[in-house]
Amino acid sequence: MNGRTRLVAIGMHLILTVWTIFVLAPIGLMLISAFKSQAEIFTKPLSLPGSLNLSAFQRAWNIGIGSFMLNSLLVTVLSVAVIITTSGLAAYVLARSEAKVMKWLYILIIASFAIPVQSVLVPLYQMVSGGHMLNSQLGIVLPYAAFGIPFTTVLFYAFFLEFPRELEEAARLDGCSRLQIFFRIVVPLSGPVVASAAIFQAVFNWNEFLLALMMLTEKSVRTLPVGIYGLTTQYSSDWPAIMAALTIATLPLLILFILAQRHFVRSLAGLGK
Amino acid sequence: MPSLEIDNVKKSYDNFQALKGVSFRAEPGEFVVMVGPSGCGKSTLLRSIAGLETISSGAIRIDGRDIAHDDPSQRGVAMVFQNYALYPHMTVAQNMGFALKMAGRPKAEIDAAVQRAAQILRITEHLEKKPKALSGGQKQRVAIGRAITRSPDVFLFDEPLSNLDAALRSQMRIELGRLHAELKATMVYVTHDQTEAMTMASRIVVLNAGQIEQTGTPLELYNRPTNRFVAGFLGTPRMNFFAGRVVRQDGSAISVQLPGVDLNLDLTLEGEGPGVGGEIVLGARPEALDGAGGIEIKGTTAVVENLGREALVYVDTGALRTFDSESQEGYVAVHRPYQVEARFGAHTSIRLDASRLYAFGPDGRSIAFPRSL
Amino acid sequence: MSQSPSRMLDRWMSAGMLAPALLLVGVLVLIPSVLAVVGSFYEFGITSQNWVFVGLSNYARAMADPVFWTALKNNIFLIIGSIITQVGLGTLFAALLDRGVRRGNTFYRTIIFMPVIISSIAVAFVWILIFDPNVGPLNAVIKGIGLTPPRLGWLGDPNISLYMLLVIAAWQNVGFQMVLVLAGLQAIPKELYEAAALDGAKGWRAFVHITLPGIRNVLMVGTLICIIGGLKVFDLVFVTTGGGPANATQVIGSYTYLQAFTLGNMGYADALSVILLVVALGFGWLQLTLSRRG
Repeated sequence: MNGRTRLVAIGMHLILTVWTIFVLAPIGLMLISAFKSQAEIFTKPLSLPGSLNLSAFQRAWNIGIGSFMLNSLLVTVLSVAVIITTSGLAAYVLARSEAKVMKWLYILIIASFAIPVQSVLVPLYQMVSGGHMLNSQLGIVLPYAAFGIPFTTVLFYAFFLEFPRELEEAARLDGCSRLQIFFRIVVPLSGPVVASAAIFQAVFNWNEFLLALMMLTEKSVRTLPVGIYGLTTQYSSDWPAIMAALTIATLPLLILFILAQRHFVRSLAGLGK
Repeated sequence: MPSLEIDNVKKSYDNFQALKGVSFRAEPGEFVVMVGPSGCGKSTLLRSIAGLETISSGAIRIDGRDIAHDDPSQRGVAMVFQNYALYPHMTVAQNMGFALKMAGRPKAEIDAAVQRAAQILRITEHLEKKPKALSGGQKQRVAIGRAITRSPDVFLFDEPLSNLDAALRSQMRIELGRLHAELKATMVYVTHDQTEAMTMASRIVVLNAGQIEQTGTPLELYNRPTNRFVAGFLGTPRMNFFAGRVVRQDGSAISVQLPGVDLNLDLTLEGEGPGVGGEIVLGARPEALDGAGGIEIKGTTAVVENLGREALVYVDTGALRTFDSESQEGYVAVHRPYQVEARFGAHTSIRLDASRLYAFGPDGRSIAFPRSL
Repeated sequence: MSQSPSRMLDRWMSAGMLAPALLLVGVLVLIPSVLAVVGSFYEFGITSQNWVFVGLSNYARAMADPVFWTALKNNIFLIIGSIITQVGLGTLFAALLDRGVRRGNTFYRTIIFMPVIISSIAVAFVWILIFDPNVGPLNAVIKGIGLTPPRLGWLGDPNISLYMLLVIAAWQNVGFQMVLVLAGLQAIPKELYEAAALDGAKGWRAFVHITLPGIRNVLMVGTLICIIGGLKVFDLVFVTTGGGPANATQVIGSYTYLQAFTLGNMGYADALSVILLVVALGFGWLQLTLSRRG
């Protein structure tokens, strides 16, 4: 390695390192601020906390972060389960049937993929409130599912198209019905694509804000994003408590991400295919 | 052992007729090989027997019972797929026993059937492995084992060896032959490889464009093809075809003139000829052009393929060209049963012996065969 | 030929397998979007059932509404800005990780990707703290090196607040674009580079003739994601600036929300939604045709 290529290599590392620090700094700030006292936030914005002060976490917890988290967990798990099941069944039929209707249904699914939530705010709100489902977890799970299905169906559709047809034919000869083929042969072999879709939808719904803001107005049913948003309007100057709340909300997903980062990266990059 | 009867089976897609009325009968215990170029309908026919395709009309009978509209699993057939089609999430034993499990048979019976099949195929030590831990040849054995476990009336094979390398392929050919002898089962085997057809079949069905060209034993088809398609399809390298003209006819005896060579060949017709002045196609297998008899035609060496003990020589005979053959330039393929020093442009010759030639009429039907057969 | 019973069964089963997904999408996505179009021709409030037909006047109102145009302009600004920053930096980092940097590859990738999974609400609040005029570390640093921070605050000054939003968006999304491009780069067969090297194309020329055509599709998808993201942007704007100061950072999403749920102009909000819908469907159609061609 000569001097010049060495310099280039150092330059490359430098670029990446600068951005890495830029990424880490706000996350670090969040963690550090959560351990500070309110006075320290004002007097020493750039220094580390004087002592490991957990009172901000306690305040955040007392405000109800725990219940927000439970709500988020419930809503996310339910909506992801509904999305995966319904999309899987639908995509399989769409990918296997040769009827013309199916082509049109698939195009309809793709078209609904392009409809943003923002475009249906008013009617959706009126439908949900008309059905007396404002402030209910089911009321938010169903729209989450509906807006997650198109993308997931497209993802599964592509997977099923490439699924080896011979395996299904062998299963037919072995005596499987159509449903049995799906559940005994196709589903057990769909692990990777299901994991991808589940991770993607889980991240998306765990963080969803707009629909939750609109539909979950009672504190007891709020998910983390709206819960924290509501918090800040009440305790706007208690920065340590807000940062502690953000830490509690963010950490589970971050830890999960670092443990399974290969899966995360692959599933989210799958969008590009 | 049951028989399999295909009776005037037709199958058409939107505007395409894949099978135009196919009929043949596989006797109990026969090993029938369906062979033909890609798109000839052989796979469609096999898949129709299996029930993976629905036929448009006709009947498929096993032991006299029409199964054409039965569910695939109720037909008493088992199929070995080209890409093995082993379930990746099941062990070898589970793969082999899956059909019996779906049929609700007791576990002891399934285990016994799997054990028996595994012993026949010598894969007992792999039973607890997953397919991805196996080599290509082992996977193919498991796929065959899965078929055996079901003890079907008819075994169906869809180009099962095409994914294996050459050495393994010839090994598996022998293995399948042994298996057929051992199980004495009725088997239908699809391939595009005429070597597989020649070596394994007790009977060959040659398909072309959705129709049967000829059925018969391998040697019947090789020696007495009923038309030019079959003559060209079986045998490597292909038969040499020369376009000629009938110059004289006396009863069944005719004289044929070939372009560019100043000679007449005298043949005896078995069928109806085109008459004097009519076009005729002469066919010569590469091994029939080497020897002592007949008339010598001089030429130069264009290409030599040495196979070790023997050689294939492509000879440029000037104006005398072959058509519809292996070499685009129309060189004549000659099989020499000895080693040949490869030298481009060297003088050599072929021998045209009328008693070793085939002749085909304008419609492609065979009208003369070598006298030695 | 008549339908066999098993075929009929098949048909019912297919319908049953399709029904749940189609029902959810139909009732909660497709019907509401039709209702939005219908609603945009009326005037009505959140709770009042008193719908007054007003024809196209909601659209006319949008055309005459300077805030609508500001919001649309801001959406476009954010789209173009995020294509330049996110696709640009994402491609740069991906190229560095794919060919240049061997040691620490996974570490860089993991860290740079991390913000993608953090909720935009959390991101917004952390950045509000960073930009805070009184307790924010950014001002402390700026003052520390002897400069003066903007008098109205980083998010309070209409001249710079949009750029700050762009910085936050880049912080969160560059990792995503990087991973996207990285996947594209890794899908280019190594033999192509070897063949190019034999043909005399190395370094920069290999990049132009092999790499760029190879990731063309991925770059297109990345750009499209920026466009859709820029059209749909809501959380970040709503939490950090609320569309202010004086509507300077309003976007269509936040303005629709404001009109509907703060001001109660549901019909007008519907009209704004429909305009967004038409633009989004246009881009969706574009994606479909581009991906078909690719």
